[in-house]
Amino acid sequence: MGKNPPSPPAEDEPVPVFGTWPRIYAAVIVSALAVMALVAVFSAFPY
Amino acid sequence: MSALDWVVLLVYLVAVVAFGFWTGRGNRKIEDFFLAGRQMRWWAVGLSVMATQISAITFIGTTGQAYTDGMRFLVFYFGLPFAMVILCVTLVPFFYRARVYTAYEYLERRFDARTRTLTSLLFLLSRGLSVGVTLYAPSLVLSVILGWSEPATILLMGGSTIVYVVYGGNKSVIWTDVVQMLIIWFGIFLCFGVAVAQLPAGFGLRDALALAQTSGRLRIMDTSPSLSTPYTLWSGLIGGLFLMLSYFGCDQSQVQRYLSGSSLTQSRLSLLFNAFLKVPMQFLILLTGVLVFVFYHFHPAPLLWNPVEMRKLESQAPAPELVALRQRYEAAAAQRQLSAEAWVRSRTPDAQATYQAATTELAAARGEAVKMVERINGGARYNDTNYIFPSYILAHLPSGLAGLVIAVIFAAAMSTLSGEFNSLATATMIDFYKRFVSPSGTDQKELLVSRLFTALWGGFACLVALRAGQLGSAIEVVNRFGSYFYGSILGVFLLAVLTPRAAARGAFYGLMIGMAAVFAVSRYTAVHFLWYNVVGAVAVFASGLIITALSPRSPS
Repeated sequence: MGKNPPSPPAEDEPVPVFGTWPRIYAAVIVSALAVMALVAVFSAFPY
Repeated sequence: MSALDWVVLLVYLVAVVAFGFWTGRGNRKIEDFFLAGRQMRWWAVGLSVMATQISAITFIGTTGQAYTDGMRFLVFYFGLPFAMVILCVTLVPFFYRARVYTAYEYLERRFDARTRTLTSLLFLLSRGLSVGVTLYAPSLVLSVILGWSEPATILLMGGSTIVYVVYGGNKSVIWTDVVQMLIIWFGIFLCFGVAVAQLPAGFGLRDALALAQTSGRLRIMDTSPSLSTPYTLWSGLIGGLFLMLSYFGCDQSQVQRYLSGSSLTQSRLSLLFNAFLKVPMQFLILLTGVLVFVFYHFHPAPLLWNPVEMRKLESQAPAPELVALRQRYEAAAAQRQLSAEAWVRSRTPDAQATYQAATTELAAARGEAVKMVERINGGARYNDTNYIFPSYILAHLPSGLAGLVIAVIFAAAMSTLSGEFNSLATATMIDFYKRFVSPSGTDQKELLVSRLFTALWGGFACLVALRAGQLGSAIEVVNRFGSYFYGSILGVFLLAVLTPRAAARGAFYGLMIGMAAVFAVSRYTAVHFLWYNVVGAVAVFASGLIITALSPRSPS
């Protein structure tokens, strides 16, 4: 990774929820998509 | 403002400065002063990240924008959750494990000193100038609306922030940001609740939303592929993604917040906290602006929201013309109220058409007033979006609550200013003073110099704000200045972490090419500014790789 690479990844604390970081990231992305879907429904709902 | 409003505002100011002093005790070295000793928990850092981003003008400008243009500005934040995840995977671990103070420090380790110096200098130039505008803009609005002295407002807002940041450094910044963000959240819910409560009797939230929808204020998802249309879904998702990557990944005012986390996990969680909350928060702010728009269907709205310009119009416009315009505006407002009530009751296409015709006539009458004031001002563009929400607060919120919302505006301004003073001082100290002037010194001396730089940047911001009134269109130049190289700096960081082969020469000259590309796009095309960051990042990344490939390999 070029000059002076940082030390290889090593977790400094236990992963707080869902077991792994990729699962946490997936949860964030799913929730963001859900919020956008709700916003779209809010915008188009026939009040 | 009533006496109670003044008491609320003064209690806020005294309490936040005292809290800043109390939480900022115990700084013994610059790691304490600049990175809060790397001891902070995710929720405190997360609230500080959020508070640094939401400036006063974001708060009052966004509600005003919802009033005039609707909620489509929300897409500006759609790229944020994705940017946070990408940063957690890429830049944050690199910064954290490199134990750097500034984002630019990392670039010297990866490339060379000149790339670090140039990127840090670009940050100091853009942030240093824009921090003055960050202070000036809300001070101007508050002084115009409340009749305060503009210099006194600037000095009160800027001075109270400077004193606790100079003393307590980043610890004070983060802890006061936590309190200020909680106050801002409270203020947002309060304003939303008041706006709902002030709807006319028999007129529910659903009716208000129906009215807003038929006025186009609830239109958010614009799927137009045009690059020049503002705030389309694509510019929000793609342009917004690059903008947020640039801001949260390469701007020291944000990087410094999460470098204060006690571990990599805490730093990552602070960003993911924002990924969850930012869009809902902006949604609520924009919806409050929409409800204010509905509110003014049933209450008289001024012809112009800026009272100073209104007085100028009254004294300088031909009286018969102005009287006729006022009569036209008031008749259109009355017609809009009647047609709005009729449409909400009947929901028939005819009633809707009548309402929309009345809305168009009202907008045309106001447009005439805007043209008149622009003529009086020698053709200078008139925009009073930022005055709508403070005018509403002052005229229609009960005594005490108005003072609280003014305190919220102060909190939003001060939380941004504090992070910016602190980060400007850090880049000056770490990337210039310690790099070129005095690499080693006693903790006591370094702490003193760090405080001096903080005070100097705070003073500079006040000076720029005090002179901003005479700068005129230069303010717009300052605001645009950052957008020319934000994406380009991101391109350098992408080269650093994504491509092992990219060399220093490629990064340095790629940065120049990226900035030139953004300048050309902004100068010669109608592409919306949200795309500039994509252009800059891609241009730097591609040209950096090409220059590296064409360059002779370094012996090292």
